[in-house]
Amino acid sequence: MAVVTVGADQLQQLGGSPPAVHHRSRLREFLAAFPFIAPSLIGVLMFLVLPVLFVFVLSFLEWSGAGPFKWAGMQNWVDIFKYDGAGHSIGVTAYYVLLNIPAQTVIALALAVMLNRKRRGMAFFRVLYLMPYLTTPVAMGVIWFWVFQPQSGAIDHFLSLFGISGPDWLNSSRWAMPVVAAVNIWQYVGFNMLFFFAGLQAIPRSLYEAAEIDGASKWRQFWRISLPLLNPTTLFLLVTDVIGSFQVFDTLYVLTGGSGGPGDSTKVMALNIYNVGFQGTRYGEAAALSVMLFGVILIFSIGQFLFFRNRTTYEYSQ
Amino acid sequence: MSAITLTSPAVERAPLLRSQAFKVTRLTLFYLVLAVIGAMFLIPLVFAAFGSLKPDSQILTTPAWAPPGHPVWSNYSNTWGNFSQVETEFSTYFYNTLMVTVALTVGQVFFSMLAAYAFARLRFPGRDTIFWVYLMTLMVPNIVTIIPLYTIMDKIHLVNTYWAIFLPYCLGTPYTIFLMRQFFRGIPQEVIDSAKIDGCGDVGVLRRVIVPLSRPVLITAALIAFVFSWNNFLWPLVIEGSQSHYLLTVGLANFTTGPGTGEYMNIVLAGAMITLIPMILVFIIFNRYIIRSIQLTSGR
Repeated sequence: MAVVTVGADQLQQLGGSPPAVHHRSRLREFLAAFPFIAPSLIGVLMFLVLPVLFVFVLSFLEWSGAGPFKWAGMQNWVDIFKYDGAGHSIGVTAYYVLLNIPAQTVIALALAVMLNRKRRGMAFFRVLYLMPYLTTPVAMGVIWFWVFQPQSGAIDHFLSLFGISGPDWLNSSRWAMPVVAAVNIWQYVGFNMLFFFAGLQAIPRSLYEAAEIDGASKWRQFWRISLPLLNPTTLFLLVTDVIGSFQVFDTLYVLTGGSGGPGDSTKVMALNIYNVGFQGTRYGEAAALSVMLFGVILIFSIGQFLFFRNRTTYEYSQ
Repeated sequence: MSAITLTSPAVERAPLLRSQAFKVTRLTLFYLVLAVIGAMFLIPLVFAAFGSLKPDSQILTTPAWAPPGHPVWSNYSNTWGNFSQVETEFSTYFYNTLMVTVALTVGQVFFSMLAAYAFARLRFPGRDTIFWVYLMTLMVPNIVTIIPLYTIMDKIHLVNTYWAIFLPYCLGTPYTIFLMRQFFRGIPQEVIDSAKIDGCGDVGVLRRVIVPLSRPVLITAALIAFVFSWNNFLWPLVIEGSQSHYLLTVGLANFTTGPGTGEYMNIVLAGAMITLIPMILVFIIFNRYIIRSIQLTSGR
């Protein structure tokens, strides 16, 4: 804005034509900034924007990993439901999200409330609970794979002390998914806890003091003050967690040996994309599955946003 | 407190003592619960450390919580070098991972810094539009771009090269650019103006003013890149076909998918520990910055 005024001032003195000088200074500005943004611009256009546009195109093409592309029309979109179990994988993914998100959110909130007090060592426990968040998911998956081995694993060893024999965990189509969800909760609950903790810290103490004077119990204070005022935090976490859960891959790949088994009981959408694309070399169909996943994630994000926006949020001022 | 207790009549002393005992018990219980939860986060790692040091004869028969009688350190050298039963070489995976991670981190921090400086401190046509495009790409799930990205890499003949692993992430990422831009905008204009009066150009301002003042956000950005690259799995898995190019995560995952799954668990656990130890060290040293980076995200 300032540049435009300076340009106009100079023009009045010089009596030249306004657009030319204006244009030249804008060009100079652009040339000065270009070296700074060029690398990231190339990166974003080439490896983010182009792939997003191309995945839509590819979903109408046939490509086997080599040679030219062939036009396939709607064939890929028909085939993913006919042969690749697209519908099934949506169901499996939704089941995983349902096992994962509510439990993870509730546990994270409970941990945050427990650690949100002025006592010795709270910072230490916060750091300790966050630790799994940084550990390599594939390496942790390998360790949990061993812990859940039938008979020789730690869980079955422990259960056998009480004369219980485990239900074959990862080899059981009933238990495999809950195990995967539990491992992911173990990994990410501390991360969520930290967000809730930051949210709780931002709530002014005076609100609790006022409630205390009115004789409200701690339990009531939680439901009437903490929870409503945490709404923005909860929304942010639910949206990002659901988006993340829809893409679950690393842990699940390792725990199920890359198969999505037993049967297809843990074949989530991300694993299906991987299998159809890189193992079946049907990249067109894999692209169609990718577009479908993108659509599902978008619908859920918008839905969640609308749901929370229409609920009352309480404003407070300090 | 004790003075009150002493001067109070005996009748009143009893409930006070009881409430104090109650308080102590409650506090002990509270810490006990915290410790048990903390143990649940640590136990798998302790078990893995134990297991990685057990001999073949014990790994499947002894309970995971039993420490190894005589630590078998050769498990680690077997994993690191060539282990005859399972074809693997973790030293190669380790150096591959280290190389790719360093290249990705240096590139991502440097190029993000350049872009963030332009968005925060320069005025040029198209600035807001370009920044808006960057922000929009934050909404794209990673997995959606894997298939088209592979296709693009194939067309430019980069499949099966180290370049392909880090190139998409080393030219600056929108998220890091966004974080840095927020930070750079907070630097007072007067400081920059005085540097310019002293004869600094944009590069001089960046080097002599922005970088020294932005150490926290630069360290945070470096950590984000480092952790991302070290833990990255799906992309290296699909883009690298030959074992000599494998990263640690891909080499590890191979153990659970290949033949003989569940055997040689001690060797596999040693591999997992080799992968995890650098991350755990990073966490112990930098946990302040990591917590900070999470809080930066939440403040959005």
